[in-house]
Amino acid sequence: MTEENKAPFDSSSDNYSEEGPRRKFIVVSTLAVSAVCGVFPFAAGITTLLDPVKKSAGNKEKVPWTKVAPLVNLSEDGKPAKYEIILEKVKDAWTTYKNVPAGAVYLSRKGEEVTAFNLKCPHLGCAVDYRSKSDDYFCPCHNSTFGLDGSVTDANSPSPRGLDTMDTKVEDGFVWIRFQHFRPNIVEKIPLA
Amino acid sequence: MSKFLDWLDDRSGIRGLVKEALYEKVPGGARWRYVWGSCLTFAFFTQVVTGTLLWMSYSPSAQTAWESVYFIQYQVWGGWFLRGVHHYMAQAMIVLLVLHLMQVMIDGAYKAPRELNFWFGIALLGVTLALSLTGYLLPWDQKGFWATAVATNLVAEVPIIGPMLQKIVVGGVEYGHQTITRFFALHAGILPAALIALVVGHIYLFRKHGIHVKEPRPKRDSYFWPDQILKDGVACLAVLLAVVFLTLYFKGAPLGPPADPSNEFPARPEWYFLFLFQLLKYVPAFWGAVIIPLVFGLLIFLQPFIGASRKGHQFNIGFWWCLLAGAAGLTFLAFSEDRENINHGAAVREAEWQAERVVQIAQEEGIPPTGAVALLRSDRENRGRRIFSAHCSSCHRYNGHDGRGYQVEDDQSAPELAGFASVDWTTKLLNYEHYVSAEYFGGTAFKDGTMAKKVLKKFDEEEKKLLPEVALLLSDLAELPYQESLGEDRKEKLMDIFYDDLACIDCHDIDSEGEGSAPDLTGYGSKKWMVDFIVNPEHERFYGKKNDRMPAYGRDKKLSTEEIEIVVEWIRSRPAEN
Repeated sequence: MTEENKAPFDSSSDNYSEEGPRRKFIVVSTLAVSAVCGVFPFAAGITTLLDPVKKSAGNKEKVPWTKVAPLVNLSEDGKPAKYEIILEKVKDAWTTYKNVPAGAVYLSRKGEEVTAFNLKCPHLGCAVDYRSKSDDYFCPCHNSTFGLDGSVTDANSPSPRGLDTMDTKVEDGFVWIRFQHFRPNIVEKIPLA
Repeated sequence: MSKFLDWLDDRSGIRGLVKEALYEKVPGGARWRYVWGSCLTFAFFTQVVTGTLLWMSYSPSAQTAWESVYFIQYQVWGGWFLRGVHHYMAQAMIVLLVLHLMQVMIDGAYKAPRELNFWFGIALLGVTLALSLTGYLLPWDQKGFWATAVATNLVAEVPIIGPMLQKIVVGGVEYGHQTITRFFALHAGILPAALIALVVGHIYLFRKHGIHVKEPRPKRDSYFWPDQILKDGVACLAVLLAVVFLTLYFKGAPLGPPADPSNEFPARPEWYFLFLFQLLKYVPAFWGAVIIPLVFGLLIFLQPFIGASRKGHQFNIGFWWCLLAGAAGLTFLAFSEDRENINHGAAVREAEWQAERVVQIAQEEGIPPTGAVALLRSDRENRGRRIFSAHCSSCHRYNGHDGRGYQVEDDQSAPELAGFASVDWTTKLLNYEHYVSAEYFGGTAFKDGTMAKKVLKKFDEEEKKLLPEVALLLSDLAELPYQESLGEDRKEKLMDIFYDDLACIDCHDIDSEGEGSAPDLTGYGSKKWMVDFIVNPEHERFYGKKNDRMPAYGRDKKLSTEEIEIVVEWIRSRPAEN
């Protein structure tokens, strides 16, 4: 399928003679028909290649609520504790998995209000530790430190933003969360979708 | 631009190459009869591109092959179209191969000095057929699974090494992951590579000997570019349009229900293999798989030599026409036998039903890691049909069939159960003519029982007019999901008929204490009533000792309570057809 390359060589041939306009018509139609046939197989499937881009564009729909823990398990003095996030249903292309571990969060409570921080450091995604002695969060990879409110506390912290919060709610005595991951190492908090 | 081309030409000699490729002499001028080779090249090119794109979403394993093809077909943007083009272009290739072959035969282009190229062509035919066979099993749907079973069992017919060869192809004794991965490697790796190698040789030899001209020459000589290429291109365009048309018309390629070794399937190969399928009805597998292909293969191999004489050439052409006619005849036989076989039609519709059903469940619930076949096996709708077919249909019928659309060979000896307890069903039940007909109790002892002979038959005209009212009442008790409830007032009036006008209550209880001599109709046709009845029809509440052959499925543990509930739910789920 290299027909497209021929044009430059046409005139170099002198052992071929036909009247001008007719030959031109033949050459143009041949090129056109060849181009259609050459492009067709790619055109037939280009959409499937672009499918992931299209789907993530239409994927802005609400993140589902996931049940995390009973509210009473959270200390009333606001001391954070780590909880695993087990997603009820995860769809990976053609397979739907149930009860899939998807990450972890730190939950802390103020009355009925629950704050959730993603365990992943917004710098490069290491798991952040809560240090009870200094009552702050510390990333053991690159030494970012975060206050209890999630903000970066040390000017030397490489993390470009504070810990990532997510929507929470309390229902029937349970803490629910919209668990999400966010794009690492940029100032803005942008969900991965 | 021209400087760059000069540089490129200086380093690569590309001008000469392209010139040589394009200014192939076409003696006698461009002709339509030369287009088939180019069409095949175009078709193969399309298959490579579309196949690679399909590959990006396909996962070859027993739990993901069907599932990923389902994903391509129903979830990926434009996936159905891509798959359809690949599917129908594969079929177009078979047609084009035959056209190309016949043109070569008729024009005598297979004879000396082109023997070698003829053999290359025949090898290409074989590789293309192998690509087709390995291709349509990759979705691992029922069709693919059973076709694989037949094809790999034929491999075992090869003398001495057959069984070993079969194990190598299947990847063991059982069909599974290894079968699909091996066939996929064949389909997307080994066979296309072989095809490319053969095509290179084919085209090289074609160029070496030039076009074989069919005399007389219609015009003066011309060149491949642009005259012949234009004709080739237009033909390719026609193939392309035909494939697009088929894809749109059939809404892409079919996808059957997921492979299930325990579930029978009307296994038929693709249409271009149907003649072989039909042949195996007449000849032993060893002949069909080994002897006949060997003899024909040898004959075809010798054809360039046979064709050296005029008579020999005519024999060769005659041979291919006979082969084609024979294949067409066998194909026709295969089709017409299937069309006349009622149960084959039922099996096809059953497979279509399963395919639709499993897609519906997959879209609602998603597919578990165990694969889509588990969805269908645990589906209550599907199980209801199957339980009815296996346990009820030897006596009862459902819309006249076994619950899944198959005809039953035994005579019907118990009531039709489609729309059981619906107004229509109950109204007919209370009509003497219907009651004693084969559709209801004609095949049972109840045909001559009290209800038939002493009640229904004895009603006078006035009483008979009240029977549909009773039917309305009974049907209301069933609380069928597709019927509206009558309301309390109406029900009370109808109850008066049941109690007083027709005195049904003398034998049948409704909401009353004690045991009447005939079946208790409290909650008649409801889920509980039906389950209790099927658990034990010999219970005092129902037939008691008068029971005629209806097994006590629950009491005798022939079916679990869950199974009885499933079949009851299924019977109650919809009205009878027509």
